[in-house]
Amino acid sequence: MTPDPAPVDTPAEVPAQDQVDVQVEELPVAPLDGDGWSRLDARKLLLDPVRTLKEFLFPGLIAIFGVSQSNMTYWPLIIPLAILAPIALGTIPWLTTYFRITDSQVQLRTGLLNKRSSTAPLDRVRSVDLEASLLHRILGLEKVQIGTGVDDDRITLDALAREDARQLRTTLLHRARPTATATAEDVDATVGTIDPDVGPGVGPAGGTGHEASTELASINWSWLRFAPFSLGRLVLLAGAIGVLSQFGDNLPIFSEDSVASAWHWIGRFALTMVILVAVLSGLALWIVVAVVGYVIQWWNFRLVRERDSLHLTYGLFTTRSISVEEAKVRGVQITEPALLRIVGGAGLATLATGVEDGVTEVLPPCPRPVAVSVGEQILRSREPLTQALVHHGFRARRRAYFAQIRLALVWPIAAAVAVWQSWISLSWLVAVTVVALALAAVLAESTYRHLGHTLTDGHLVAGSGTLARIRTVLETDGIIGWVFAQSWWQRRGRLTDLVATTAAGSERVIIHDVPLATAVALANAATPGLLTGFLDAP
Amino acid sequence: MTLADDSAPPTISLREPAHRVSSRAPSYWRATSAIGDLVFLVAGVVLFVFLPVRPWWAITIFVVLLLLALLQTAVMPVIRYRVHRWEVSPIAVHTRSGWIGRHTRIAPINRVQTVDSRQGAIMRLFGLATLTVTTASAAGPITIDCLDADTARDLVAQLTEITAATEGDAT
Repeated sequence: MTPDPAPVDTPAEVPAQDQVDVQVEELPVAPLDGDGWSRLDARKLLLDPVRTLKEFLFPGLIAIFGVSQSNMTYWPLIIPLAILAPIALGTIPWLTTYFRITDSQVQLRTGLLNKRSSTAPLDRVRSVDLEASLLHRILGLEKVQIGTGVDDDRITLDALAREDARQLRTTLLHRARPTATATAEDVDATVGTIDPDVGPGVGPAGGTGHEASTELASINWSWLRFAPFSLGRLVLLAGAIGVLSQFGDNLPIFSEDSVASAWHWIGRFALTMVILVAVLSGLALWIVVAVVGYVIQWWNFRLVRERDSLHLTYGLFTTRSISVEEAKVRGVQITEPALLRIVGGAGLATLATGVEDGVTEVLPPCPRPVAVSVGEQILRSREPLTQALVHHGFRARRRAYFAQIRLALVWPIAAAVAVWQSWISLSWLVAVTVVALALAAVLAESTYRHLGHTLTDGHLVAGSGTLARIRTVLETDGIIGWVFAQSWWQRRGRLTDLVATTAAGSERVIIHDVPLATAVALANAATPGLLTGFLDAP
Repeated sequence: MTLADDSAPPTISLREPAHRVSSRAPSYWRATSAIGDLVFLVAGVVLFVFLPVRPWWAITIFVVLLLLALLQTAVMPVIRYRVHRWEVSPIAVHTRSGWIGRHTRIAPINRVQTVDSRQGAIMRLFGLATLTVTTASAAGPITIDCLDADTARDLVAQLTEITAATEGDAT
């Protein structure tokens, strides 16, 4: 590939020299025609006003109603203002945003009054994500987000033409590759030595230079059966019901009289019947919401490995396209929430550095074997995903029980207070205590069963979760420190929480309640040499 | 099912880090803790004087809390001085901290990203400084509380030298 400096074909507007702020002037001068600064795609001029209009809509309407009730004479003034202001404001981002790709950096300058400029060294580009809302797609645009090795803010180009965006991504990821193994810390040392024609470097993951793309997974609509069992969207449904109930006040059926008469009406029918119908219709509603949500989110889902990067695309209305350099993927996490697990489903996420929140869902809820096999292909090793976990023994189990019982005690105590105030009878206290303790026991046993760890060749595996079963796999190369955290109770039980700190995912992998000696042995085995000097000879 | 603590003998254990923190550290901890107690006491007295009602239970709670705080001021510095330890080897930084709980932290030197020392106003009076070593993980900063200011300065220089020599982006 030729080192195309400005992959975007929009007319390169050269900003007046006095607009160039200090930081930009310090940047290495790129040997490019007309400095190579480009504006975002001109179609952004259609995008932003609509967006601002949307933001202005609500306050605008309120203002208009407020004014209209007092005085009508200002209308001819207000209406044009309400329409023109968003349009004028919406053009500002396009007018003030410039970006360019030099030989060594991606540079972005933006802002009218508060000027901001961000730069990212090309060889630190770790991920390039494309995202398009429905509006973006109608206009043929994509939002590009460029992530570097560190987790702080990313460079966002919103928006570029679709082809330009894709070309930019290819360019950036391809250029980042030759130094992907990152032996040179100093950026300047590598500038000028990057030869874009060099093939993919050998990634630490043992990359064999996948020029051709391999599909790791794509949507299988039989997976829709898992949709109702993952409760993530339940919040959405609850929110929708909340919004509806706001309007409920204004509906004629909800007046106080009608509620009272409805209550009499209910009284005449069997109450159980009414409850049954309510539950069934709630269930039906939930299934519809879950299935529709699943389809909207995961439409056209594909996970592809291409040139040592993972590419993830999905979405019906808002399309997302996420690319992560494989060398930056430090592990995976298989999550089986309680309901999903009953029907044999699981979800898979990668733990990576330099991605927005570190943990990226790479599969929709799908059959567990699929999650395991995709995880295996990402890790290039199956053992960490299938090997049995080492459990933590009697004292860890006892701690799990104590923790759950301590939480559950709230209910008997509340009941005892109620009995004391003679709100309820004593038999209620007994019932509440029994149920609370039984539930606590179930939760504790489930927590203990999920708890565990193991170490394979090159991967640390941690099991956790109370209701969900979570298996976290972390490359031992990605471990950048250990913390042995003991509370007073853990010290009594010679247990410890072992924390492997890492730059990937949520920055830490915690193995709870490991016997202390096992924890030391595990840490020593996972990072050979690191602990050697600090060990007591047996 | 393997019970880890019953299985074969992984009898290796972590020894404590070699060095104690500064011998002036307990005085510093006692001083800061006492200042906290004093603020608490003054707040209580002010409330007692100005509030129209003084229920007996509120006074009891206040007195109990005050006694606990005083007990902490008496006991915590002693225990803490015994627990807090640190060591820097050519391979790793190793620290232990806490007083009721324990935190033992180990970070490889070649993954260290920044080294800095801080000295608050009261710390300066006692000639102490706190050293913080960070890695690329948000979960991994290692703090050595209350070193001798001189020791801290030497250690910063030493660590900076070592980390400058390492390569890679430390993730």
